[in-house]
Amino acid sequence: MITIALPSKGRMKDDASAIFGKAGFKVVAVGNERSYRGRLEGVDDVEIAFLSASEISREIGNGSIDFGVTGEDLIREGLAEADVRVEFCARLGFGHADVVVAVPEIWLDVDTMADLGDVAADFRARHGRRLAIATKYWRLTQQFFSSQHGIQLYRIVESLGATEGAPASGSADIIVDITTTGSTLRANHLKILSDGVILKSEACLVRARKPEHEGDATVAEIISRVRAVV
Amino acid sequence: MTLINLPDFAGDLIADFERLGTTRVDTPVIQPAEPFLDMAGEDLRRRIFLTQSETGENLCLRPEFTIPVCMRHIETATGTPKRYSYLGEVFRQRREGGSEFYQAGIEDLGTRDFAGADARAVADAVAILGKLVPEQPLAVTMGDQAMFEAVVAALGLPAGWQKRLIRAFGEHAQLEALMQRLAKPEHVSGLGAEVETLAKEDEEGLIAHIDGVMEATGYLTNASRSPKEIARRLKEKLALAGTSLDPAKLDVLREFLSLNVSLRYAPGVLADFAESTGLPLQAAVDRFDARVAAFANAGVKLSDITWRAAFGRPLDYYTGLVFEVTLRNDHRVLAGGGRYDGMLTLLGAEENIPAVGFSLWLDRIEAVRGER
Repeated sequence: MITIALPSKGRMKDDASAIFGKAGFKVVAVGNERSYRGRLEGVDDVEIAFLSASEISREIGNGSIDFGVTGEDLIREGLAEADVRVEFCARLGFGHADVVVAVPEIWLDVDTMADLGDVAADFRARHGRRLAIATKYWRLTQQFFSSQHGIQLYRIVESLGATEGAPASGSADIIVDITTTGSTLRANHLKILSDGVILKSEACLVRARKPEHEGDATVAEIISRVRAVV
Repeated sequence: MTLINLPDFAGDLIADFERLGTTRVDTPVIQPAEPFLDMAGEDLRRRIFLTQSETGENLCLRPEFTIPVCMRHIETATGTPKRYSYLGEVFRQRREGGSEFYQAGIEDLGTRDFAGADARAVADAVAILGKLVPEQPLAVTMGDQAMFEAVVAALGLPAGWQKRLIRAFGEHAQLEALMQRLAKPEHVSGLGAEVETLAKEDEEGLIAHIDGVMEATGYLTNASRSPKEIARRLKEKLALAGTSLDPAKLDVLREFLSLNVSLRYAPGVLADFAESTGLPLQAAVDRFDARVAAFANAGVKLSDITWRAAFGRPLDYYTGLVFEVTLRNDHRVLAGGGRYDGMLTLLGAEENIPAVGFSLWLDRIEAVRGER
């Protein structure tokens, strides 16, 4: 039995069902419309689980489901060594969001990560504390700042909502967050650094890398039929 | 209490520490996490074992000893100089080996004879290892943050570039990428005519402008970077716009970073480098030579030490010597240490306290002993 997890609500749910429909897999709920279980019409050995996008990322990481449709940002944030543990089978063309580094617009002297590195290095001496970054993307922030840009000295302030308001209120200096159009950032007088796009994310069909998938006809067909319609 | 995984040579080590006149300290295994994250950065978060107290304070299992020993020194205010020793378990996820293992070491706080204290740290580490793994030739690799900083300063680069280079020191890929970037002119765009004019002609006006925008957009002007700080840095940046690092200077920097010689020859090599490049390095070379002399005085065999100009640790509290000890032709670091004069003030000490120390990786030493 192959389990595919699809988003359980909203635009993501509709768009994911639409893609599967185009691929010739009609998604039907088991029981009533709001059920959290489903199946593909006419396909016996596949079951559908409707989960929240972040649950999908977690479940695919521990291999309790075979496929999932969720944002690349959630997979890369949720899983260490994501590419070893999962395969990004297809990019589905919806759920676009960029994970970006944004600083106050009025930081006229800061346009690049190198500028930000300068600011972070002097921060402690000037302000008695490290540069504070508000984000819910711990892993992506660390990888981008440390591995790619050699910036070590900052602190992450966990933010579980309204991250874009943190710099104005003084609870953090800058943010790492997702944006689609950039309008929320602009409304909060933040600007994206010119080399500050960490990830251009969208919804993906993701497969947990499991040995038993090797040579499985159903697995191969799901991948090829979804790829054919995106 | 019997700790079954305590290395069997722990008793010898403790006796050595006593013989060396150090004060043995122990620190709680459960530590506040903030000082570690503040010092080493967020990267450490993935490697340490974190939890929270009932009141929400971040706690961690002791990932190393230097910071707790320094904090304890500041709290007890017993004055300097002081040499502390420790032996105990630390908890950290590593690429190789288990996540809980023993470390021991010495931290020398407040000794003002820098060369002498550096030499004593290396000599003690080598002597202790020499006893624990006898008849195995040891290799010491050393680097010197201060020498790199002196070369960068002697090249007469703009202050902003000097800081960037110094920050990347010790991270080969970062440093190389940075040098390539500096070789190309950097442009500043998108400021708008008003700001550009103010930045060139009227610093007070620029500060007032930034202050005004912050007020108007609901930003606190005192919570983060101030208008003055932003204005100053913008002026510095504009002064460098369109310029790039002179290729000849870049070559000199690369030549320096490629130096990798036995410490016996290092003073001569450095003198040649200073002479052939014409850089004013006399003061730094004198300090380097004084340390080499101190090493020899302390009985360290200079032929066992390799000075690698590019060897450093990219953390802002390391200020001078860094070193690692391995068996010859073996990659496992058995002891590592360095000078961290910047740490105690960062941790809240009121006066500047020079510090140098090293730690021994007891699990690796045990493994090496077992292989004989």
